[in-house]
Amino acid sequence: MKKIIHLTINELDHEIAVEPNKTLADLLRYDLKLTGTKKGCDTGDCGACTVIMNGDPVNSCLVLAVQANGSRIETVEGLSTDEGIHPIQKAFVEKGAIQCGYCTPGMIMSTKSLLDKNPNPNEQEIREGISGNLCRCTGYTKIFEAIESLRS
Amino acid sequence: MLLPKFEFHEPGSIKEALELKKKLGSTARLLAGGTDLLVHLKKKIITTDHIISLQRIESLARITAQPDFVEIGACATMAAISGTPVIKEKFSALKSGVDNIGTHLIRNRATLGGNVCNASPAGDSLPALLIYKALVLLESLDGKREMPIEEFFKGPGKTDMKADEILTGFRLPTPPAHSGAHYIQLGKRKSSEINVVNVASFLEFDPKTKIILNARIALGSVAATPIRSLKAEALLKGKIAEETSFYEAGEKARFEDCKPIDDFRGSAAYRRAMVGVLTKRTLTTAFELAGR
Repeated sequence: MKKIIHLTINELDHEIAVEPNKTLADLLRYDLKLTGTKKGCDTGDCGACTVIMNGDPVNSCLVLAVQANGSRIETVEGLSTDEGIHPIQKAFVEKGAIQCGYCTPGMIMSTKSLLDKNPNPNEQEIREGISGNLCRCTGYTKIFEAIESLRS
Repeated sequence: MLLPKFEFHEPGSIKEALELKKKLGSTARLLAGGTDLLVHLKKKIITTDHIISLQRIESLARITAQPDFVEIGACATMAAISGTPVIKEKFSALKSGVDNIGTHLIRNRATLGGNVCNASPAGDSLPALLIYKALVLLESLDGKREMPIEEFFKGPGKTDMKADEILTGFRLPTPPAHSGAHYIQLGKRKSSEINVVNVASFLEFDPKTKIILNARIALGSVAATPIRSLKAEALLKGKIAEETSFYEAGEKARFEDCKPIDDFRGSAAYRRAMVGVLTKRTLTTAFELAGR
């Protein structure tokens, strides 16, 4: 039986009826067409589906949509404004931190969460901050450099 | 991967959850963080018609520090436990254990109760719970009971939790003065790894004579459940806290206390050798930390 849930996604309020066996990742992608959030492994190993939930990054493939009832979700679509793309997105473009692009939204959301909490992370903290995200192109060095360039 | 269809229940209190569990029977599954349960459901390792989410029961996520003990609710997340001052200060081996579970994304959802109920012999939080003498707190409609954590594990994925019970939390007595503890996990990479061997050690000693009053050593990934290394502990009692004693304890743990198997993560012989090394190293660091 479907359940009605309320949640805020990128500062927009939503009221949606969802099946209990639908994950937050699938809700975002299939119901709300927010396909920036990717699905890689679907088992919490790759981090492609990373979104920020109530301020903390999570694997949206391992959160049921019904569990997200009442929460505040940030996805990659919420980053750009009328003035253009977000500084993190810009840094990823400028440093060539994007190859196939599949891990990029997850990497960027992990980066956002890292910098929101710690604007000046050291090398170790940067590496730990993206340790939940896999890049199958192995472009870690450039991703690291992009994040490094954002330190305040 | 599709999740199978199920009914979703979201009780607001432990009592309500227990009533649901009784009504729905043994096929109902408890959902805490979901980082293992949802994977197992997706991979069709388990099936269920009913999921009882514990997420809305606020008391289950609480961490309460008292002078004599700390109580950690079953649904406290690994991230919350790691960030709690009393855990950092007094239970550093547990902090180290929960910091090594999965990735930081997983740790924002995964719970201590979930890690314990999954009862993996390699579980990262389990050796520390053993050396800190954690009590498992269980509740049913008939009342509450508590038991030492090492009696709670019955085999891989098997625990003493009865069909009509819910694990509500853990009580860890505050470690005495002049004691220290340390945890080391050995895997092939740092993040998102299942351990080859993991060891936690606790040491209490007389500050003047350096004589060991109490030692507790817990070994993970080398038996069907996490186990205490009782012969090594007995050997240490009454000895001087020093390198030689720690080495001897490691040898005892290696040859007499563990029962590792060969699998694709490592051979039994390698695991045995590493039990020796990690036991010695955790004891050495536990002693150093206690001196501070």
